[in-house]
This record gives sequence, structure tokens and C-alpha cells, in this order.
Amino acid sequence: MVYIVNRLLLVVLTLFIISIVTFGITNILPGDVAMMIMGTQSNPEALEGLRESLGLNDPLIVQYGRWIGGVLTGQWGESLLFNEPIAPLISQKMLASGLIVVMTMVMALALAIPLGVWAARHRDRWQDTTSSTAALLGLSLPDFFIGIMLILLFAAYLGWLPSSGFVDPTEDFLGAVRHAFLPSLALALGLMAHLTRMTRSAMIGILNQEFIRVARAKGLPERTVVWHYALPNAIGPVMTVAGLQIGFLFGSIIVIESLFSYTGMGWLTYQALLNRDVPLIQSTVFVIAAVVMLVNLAVDLLYRVIDPRIRLG
Amino acid sequence: MRKFLSTKALIGLALVLLVVGIAVLAPLFIPPERATQMVMTARLQPPSFDFLLGTDQLGRDLFARVMLGAQTSLTIAILAVGMSIVLGLPLGIISGYYGGRVDNVLMRLIDALLSFPILLLALTISAVLGPNLQNTIIAIGVAFTPFLARIVRGEALRIVQMPYVEAARSAGTRDGLMIVRHILPNVMPALIVQATISLAFAVLAEAALSFLGLGTQPPQASWGLMIQASRQFLDLAPWTALVPGTALAITILGLNLLGDVLRDVLDPRAR
Amino acid sequence: MVNQKEAAQPLLSIENLRVQFEGETGPIVGVKDVSFTVNPGETVCVVGESGSGKSVTSLSLLRLVEFGGGKIVSGRLYFRLDGGEATDLAQMPTERMIDLRGDRIGMIFQEPMTALNPVFTIGRQLTDGLRRHRKLSAAEADTRALELLKEVRLPEPERRLKQYPHELSGGMRQRVVIAMAMACRPQLLIADEPTTALDVTIQAEILGLIKRLKRELGMAVLFITHDMAVVAQLADRVVVMRHGEKVEEGPVERIFADPQAEYTKALLASVPKLGEMRGKPGPEPLRIPGQPEPVAPSPPTESATDRPLLSVNGLTTRFPVKGGILRRVVANLHAVESVSFELAHGETLALVGESGCGKSTTARSILRLVSPLSGDVVMDGQDILGLDPGELRRARRNMQMVFQDPFASLNPFMRLRKQVAEPMLNFGLAKGSELQDRIAFLFDRVGLPRDFMRRFPHELSGGQRQRVAIARALSVNPKLIIADEAVSALDVSVQAQVLNLLMELQAEFGLSYLFISHDMAVVERVSHRVGVMYLGRIVEIGSRADIFENPRHSYTRTLLAGVPIADVTQRTLKENAEFKPLPSPVFPVGQERPAPVYEEVSPGHLVLQND
Repeated sequence: MVYIVNRLLLVVLTLFIISIVTFGITNILPGDVAMMIMGTQSNPEALEGLRESLGLNDPLIVQYGRWIGGVLTGQWGESLLFNEPIAPLISQKMLASGLIVVMTMVMALALAIPLGVWAARHRDRWQDTTSSTAALLGLSLPDFFIGIMLILLFAAYLGWLPSSGFVDPTEDFLGAVRHAFLPSLALALGLMAHLTRMTRSAMIGILNQEFIRVARAKGLPERTVVWHYALPNAIGPVMTVAGLQIGFLFGSIIVIESLFSYTGMGWLTYQALLNRDVPLIQSTVFVIAAVVMLVNLAVDLLYRVIDPRIRLG
Repeated sequence: MRKFLSTKALIGLALVLLVVGIAVLAPLFIPPERATQMVMTARLQPPSFDFLLGTDQLGRDLFARVMLGAQTSLTIAILAVGMSIVLGLPLGIISGYYGGRVDNVLMRLIDALLSFPILLLALTISAVLGPNLQNTIIAIGVAFTPFLARIVRGEALRIVQMPYVEAARSAGTRDGLMIVRHILPNVMPALIVQATISLAFAVLAEAALSFLGLGTQPPQASWGLMIQASRQFLDLAPWTALVPGTALAITILGLNLLGDVLRDVLDPRAR
Repeated sequence: MVNQKEAAQPLLSIENLRVQFEGETGPIVGVKDVSFTVNPGETVCVVGESGSGKSVTSLSLLRLVEFGGGKIVSGRLYFRLDGGEATDLAQMPTERMIDLRGDRIGMIFQEPMTALNPVFTIGRQLTDGLRRHRKLSAAEADTRALELLKEVRLPEPERRLKQYPHELSGGMRQRVVIAMAMACRPQLLIADEPTTALDVTIQAEILGLIKRLKRELGMAVLFITHDMAVVAQLADRVVVMRHGEKVEEGPVERIFADPQAEYTKALLASVPKLGEMRGKPGPEPLRIPGQPEPVAPSPPTESATDRPLLSVNGLTTRFPVKGGILRRVVANLHAVESVSFELAHGETLALVGESGCGKSTTARSILRLVSPLSGDVVMDGQDILGLDPGELRRARRNMQMVFQDPFASLNPFMRLRKQVAEPMLNFGLAKGSELQDRIAFLFDRVGLPRDFMRRFPHELSGGQRQRVAIARALSVNPKLIIADEAVSALDVSVQAQVLNLLMELQAEFGLSYLFISHDMAVVERVSHRVGVMYLGRIVEIGSRADIFENPRHSYTRTLLAGVPIADVTQRTLKENAEFKPLPSPVFPVGQERPAPVYEEVSPGHLVLQND
């Protein structure tokens, strides 16, 4: 309990730092918001007017206070690009991206764990070499390149799956999954490669532990030793790494959603960045960082529930 | 495993040397006009004797463009990773060596920064600064720094507790010399491994940034840009995507292989 | 007992065993050619130093060596299943081998801390073997598990079944591992260094337990160890191994009384035997056959001023245990509590105790490698705890430290010459050719060839590295050397050489040693005076004779009683040693323990009265 309160306090502090960084990137670096909106060639008077109306002439601390106050009270402002309130826009896009992230994770974990265990169990033999080579290849193909190949194969040649667009899962779940499938697969292959390697090295570490030797000396068959004895010990570390990969995923969805014209959080962020929609940039960047941090927190707490060693401590 | 390891090392080294060789030599042999010269009569040509790897939608020679792209890619990756080392190494060393309050403050900051996906951070910085070659380097370099600082700090923290550091302290070694003689050399293996893997990721990040139009700008030859341009003609001319995609994969694979081998050889924790 | 079994057919018969591992440049031989037998109900100890192949031999029996990349290349491992015909384990199909493991042959290992699966309860780990081999139901297996825990005398057995391994201490875990190995009443128990990682009092309990179970159940025991003292206490017969080969084999009495092989002789001579220093005036080096006659250190010099070199008074070091919201200090680990002692010029004071007693923290507090909370440390008239950083740096010149782990105490990226030179350069003691001469002298003095100066640490063995660490410590001509378990990680023969070196250097340079160790027999050899520590306090301090010949504090007696003696004629092992949990040294914030009160039973012999 004390631990959880402690962690929550840390979360508040981290969110505060995240908000400062987010605000800082869009303000302290050269080139101000008005210039970004109107371009460098614009009329100085118009620029000044825009600055005044956006409150850009106030001291930075006042501007930050105004922004964070808005964030805290739910006044997220309006997107310059979409002329829409930002908060509902983000929650809607987050749902779309959530579907992709969950599908990616499920696909990656479902393949990576058995593959990693298999490689570790047959360490240094052909099984290991095969899976390690496949993982290295998966790790080395950029996800957007994988995405293009998938479009070419499944959408252009085979025509099995749609190559672009987004369907609201609350209206047509199957359609939503169909549309999210290729982008998720493009993301999952790279992630799977990473998680396979993680599972393998975690399992190799565990299989070298003394308690595994003890289990073998007890006369347990190798299948039991590997799957029922060793694997539960690897789940924790693998979950932690998978949690950390959420961060990478939220970076990758920017590229992948743009590629598949999938209108989720990544696509929204990209549009904001491309069109210099500063209020929207601030909100999306802040939300993504916050979500990444919270997911990691959740994984950490889950780990504590599962692992008896830290459950009581 | 040894055999596999040395095969891995050989392939990795060969791939990296190949790409580095191309990056260094291509500009000497291929005049820059070759890459920008548009032959309107030869648009979207498949690979042929005239155009070894075909042409793109503007009739530009893909062979020349992909060769020159190696230089762009590697230059940006090396400078960006170099920048993250210059920023992250001192931060990590100070945090890990001195510990206490300094470490606490720095680590809170770095933990918060690590919540930003690296690619998002790089894209945002690049968009804010205005996308061009120099700002792409800055964006990737800054985005990588927290990660690198964290690795270095972990290593420094481990090394500070080693008996040889305590022995040196008892033997009157001052902080400055302690860092130079005992901490830095022992951080190096982990740093080299991390730098190699970071290079692979920086190549990827540069391609992603350029792919999204927030990195290297046309007409500069960049693999990410080439893949972006290929999208509209995929079913007509798949080679326009395959050529730069393969180049990227080869570079990243080479660096990852090298990173793996270096980790097996150098990293004390992996032994 | 052994004699009547001579006629019986052996339970286990190893014939010409050869085991190889795949190496970088071809196969590495782990066991070259080993043959010996184990009779029913007999304890055979396989003894050897690191790299002798003793563990590989034991792992080959259950064919567990295959999981470490090893392969039984040739040889036969005949095992007589329940009085039937002998079967060759080396040729047995894997399925049958698995059925045999944990059923007819049980095995226990060295590291109790990692021997249990951290994510399963003790109960589950005790029952899964039973359910597999004996096809028991869950309820039957639970009942049996409880009986087993009672058999190994684990306190509160019902509660233990539901606990996870991390809730148990090392000694308790080893009892659980033993219970697991005994579950199916094996004919043979293989014990691979089962007490090496344990404290001496716990070791005595575990050895006693193994001895009792063996007698009660009539099983044979194959005991792998590096410790001659354990062999003397436990074995019926002994197999001495070196470099993958059997050097000598025989009944334990004969091996100790009349060793035939040169190696066995040297090994036995290298082991300090508790009690053999009785009546001797001062420390004495070990005489090892084939080694030059060692030099004994002279008695401590009475300095002109009669002032001790080091005087520690009321030294207290605590480590905060942080927790709760905002990571406030919620408790303190009382590592060192009001420790006081004096150390004269040219004297060796040993601090002994079990892990966690605060002996190492005491040493590090004196050097201020950790910050003491209170107390005084006066070294050569200088108050160490009151010094500013610059003064402290200069003061440390007189106090150097030698650490336990020879692999971690040298910087892997620095040439040895530079590592030895560094302290001298730091204090500006020598430069140029003078520096080079001094380094060469130091290498000569600690018995290392001069061409080692250009080498890196990884090119040296553990003992050689420890010599470099000693040379580094000596380089600044310190008055005091603190040796923190400096020989604990070394093989016995190397340990003896390094101990002799330390004593020689003391004789030559008039050094004082603060010798931190857990090994009572080693301490008896090297020290003039001894302090016994328990839970952060010195419970008894006095001359070597006071502590070893007239121990007064109950803890000192327990400690001495637990030490196995490397002498077959003195078998002191108690079969019914009960489990005694170690109290926690963590106390709530603000709780002070009363100041220690000592009774001086004879001049210089102090015994703690209030604990």
C-alpha cells in the first residue's frame, strides 16, 4: 500500500516533468509558435497580432501556467488544423490506436514466447540459430518497409485485407480488426523479434540457475522443467520489457498509421507536427508520454502482484 | 555457438564495411547530378543494363540514389549517436559516480524523458526546429541522450562499488583521476555495444523521419525519402520500394549483428 | 562398519569415467579417467580443489552434466537398483534416467539461496517429485511433505509449506533441499559442496543432519567437497582428485595418517587445523612439503611511546532502511554497534564472525569507505573520523586494504605495473627509475615474476591476483593492512601460500594486520589477538590463547564447536544440532541498544556481559 502511494507521488512528479518538457520543446527552441503557424515569410504586424492573441508575449511561466491549468481542468483548447476541441479528438483517436497496440502486443507475445523458449531450450543448436537469425532479420527491417511489403502482398496482390482506413470498433468490431490487422502485423513483426530475443536470453539465464538443476535432479521431465518450472520465472522480465516496448510502439505508430492512413493517435500527432498545430502538438505529445508512463506503471504493479518475492516486501 | 558467433561477426563486419565503403566511395565515383538527373523518357523503368536498379517516377537512376543515400544515412546516424554520447556520457558518469542527490534529480528527469517515445521526441524536435539535415541530427541525438545516459549511469553505479575502485580510493586517487582511470575504461565496453545498437536505430530513425517528410529534405538522396516516393507506384514499380528498403535492412542488420557480437565479447553482464 | 561391507557388492561403481566439454578450440577434458566405488551405507568423500573435476564426476552420475554441454565420452557407471543387477547409467535410455533421478539417487547442491524456484511455494516443490515418482494424490503428498520437513527438523513445518523460498534463510532452504532429495528414500545421496556457502554454525547443523539421515535411512552418501576438515568429520572413504584424475583413494584414517601421494600430503599440510596452535606463543606459517621453509613473524614490537597503532572506540555504523512515502528512514540496520579495540605495532588482530556480523563494515568504517555514525578511530595519533577530505586522503596512506574477491579487486583495463604504481604516484612517493625499481622490488617481494608487470589481470590466477593486490597495498609503506576475507576465495594450497606471504611480510616490515575472516582455523594460525563479533558487537576479545583455549562467551563457544576439525581422531559432529535462527540486526529508528558492558576475565580478555 505504502509502495503504491509512493509510486503515485512519483507519477505526479513525472507527469509534471513531462508537461514541462512538452511545453519546453514547443516554446524554448528557436522559432516561435506564431512564426510556425504563419511561416517565416509572413507580415510582421500579422505575426505580432497573432502573438498577442495567443498570449505569446506573456512570460513563459505564465504561458505554461495557462497551458497546464487548461490541461488539468479539461480545457484542452482547440486544434488550429481541425477547428475542433482537442480533448474529444484525442480520446477518439486513442481508442483507435489502442486497438492497434493491443493487437500488436497479443500477436507479438503469442509468437515470441514460444519461439524464445524453443530457442533457449535448444541453445546453440539449429533451432536456436534459426530463431535467432529470424529475430535478427525481423529486428533489421524497418516497420514501415514491412508495412509496404504487407500492403503489396495482402492488399495489392491477394486483395485479402484493406490497406488503408479506419473503422470505429464500437460500430463494427470485425471491420475494425480487419482494418487494424495489417498495421498491427507490421508493428508486431519487429516487436516479436525483440521479445523473442528477450525471452530467449531470460530463459537461458533461468535455465542456468541452480533450482533448474535441482528440478532435473528430482526427476522431472525436461518438458515440465522448461515450461512449468522455468517459464513462470521468465514471464516477469519479459512483461517488463514488453511494457517498455510500449514506448517504442507509440513512436512507430506515427509512421505506420500514416502509411496505412489509419486515423489514430499516431496519425493525429503526425498531422499536428506536419501542420504546426501547436496546441494539438502539445496535447498529443503530452498524452502519449503520459500513457507510456502509466502503462509501464501498470506493468510494474502487475509484476508485483504476480511475483511472490516482491508481493510481500 | 562459437562457430555461429564468428559467422555472425564475419557477416556483420562484411555488411557494415560494405555500407561504409559505399558511403565513402560512392560520392567519389558517382557525380551528384546522376542522382538528381531526371530522364523523362525513362520513368519507373525496371532494372536494366542502363539502370542497374531501375529508375523512379522522375526517371532518376535508383542505383546512384541508393549509393549516395548511404552517405546521408551514415553521416546522420554517426553524428547523432556521437552527439548523444557527448551529452549522455558525462550525465551518466556524474549521476552514477557521485550518486546521492545529484543522481536522484538527474534520474527523475531522465525517467520522465524516457516516457517520450524516441521517435516522437525526434519528430517533434525536428518539426519545431524546421526539418533539414542538421536539425535531423540534433533531433535524433537529443532524443537518444536519456537512453544513453541511463545505460552509462547503470554501469558507473556498478563499477563504483567494485573493490578496485575502493582500493584506488584508499590509495589516495582523486575523483578526476578515478573517473578517467577506473570508471571510464570500464564503462567503455557497455558504451561501445550501446553505441553500435544505437547506430542501427539511428539509421532507422533517420529513414522514418525522412519518410514522414520531417527529416532529410529533397532533392538530397535519402532512403526514407525514396521509400516515401515509391508508395504511389508500388504495384507498378515495386523495385522503387525494394531497393532503398533492402539498403536500409542491410545497414541495420550489419550494425545489429556487430552489436550482438560486441555484446557477447565485451559486455561483462552478458558473459 | 566399513569392513563388513567390503565383501558386499558395491552400490555404485564408476569405471574409467571420461567427460569432455566442447571448447573453443576442441574438446576440454573435465574428467580424464576416474574409477571408484561406493558401497551401500557408506560415505565416500571426493575432495579436490577447483578444476579437479569432482563436481563434473558427481553431475555425470545423474547425467546432469549433459545440460552443461558436457558429454560422457567413455566409462561405465554401474548402479545396483534395489539389490538387483548393476545397470550402466551412462548407457541408460533418457526416459529411464529421468525416472531414476530423485527416486533412487537424490542430489543436493552448493547454493541454497538459488536452489529453490522463487515463484513456487515450498510445499509445491516438495511434493512434485513425490507425485511423479510415487504417484501420490495431492493430499497424500502434502502429508508426506510435512513428515519430511519434520525429519529435517525445520521449525514450524506446517507454515513453511505455504511459504515461498525468499521467506527462508539459507540454512532453512538447504534443509528444504535435503528434504526434497530424501523424499523418495534414495539409495544414494549425492551432495555437491552442500555447506560451502553456509556459515560455520549452520554448516555444522547441516553436516550433522546429513550424518543422521544417512544412519537412520541406511543410504550411501557421495559427498563432494574442497574442505579437508569436512572430509575428516564425515567420510568413511576418501577419493582425492586433481586435474580430472584420481590422485589417491583410501579409508579416511589412512588418508589422514599416512597419505601416499605428494599432492595429498601438500593438501593436508596446507589446511590449518583448529587446535593445533595450542600452547604456541605467536602466529606460525604453514609448512608445506616442496615449498621453502617459511619465516615466522616476530612478536609485536612494543613501540617507544607504548601507544597502540590503531585505537577504535565506540565505533557505530548504521545503514538506513528506507521505505514508506517519500522514502523516509523507517529503520536502521545496526551493522556496527559500539565496537572498541586496540591494535599494536606489528600485531595481527583478527575479527571473526558469521556473515552479517559487521566485521567487514567495521573495517570499511575505519578507512571511512562508509561513514560511521559515531565513535573514535585514532590511527597513529590522528583522529580519522575528524579529518577533512584532503587530510583523510593523506591519512589513508598508512592504512591499505586487501579485498576478498581477487577477480574484482584489480581494474581489468590497467596493466599490473600501473596498478601497483598508482598509489605511489598519488602520494608522490617515487617517480622515474626509482618508481620502476620499487615496482620491481614489490613484484619480487610478493613472489611474482617481473614479466607479469606488463600483463593485465585476466592473464593471472586468483592467487596471483591476490599477490598483486598485496603488492599494491604495500607500495606506499603502510603501517596497517586491513585484509577483508583476503584468502577466503582461494583454494587451500594457494590460501596457505598467501597466508605465509602475509606473515613473512609482517616479519619483514613490522606491519600490523586487521584480519577479517570467518574461518576460525585460519584465524588461529595468523593472529596475535582475536575479536569475536556477533550482531554488530564484539562479544569477546582477547589473545589468541584466550579465545581458542578459554572461550567464555556462549557465542564464541558455539562458533568454535561448529568448526569442523581436519583431524579424523577428533570427530565432533553432533547429529542433533538444532536449528537456531539468527536475530535481525534491523531496529526501529531511535531504538538504542544499551552500551556494551565487558568483564575483564584476565588482562586483555574481555567478555560482553549484556546482550
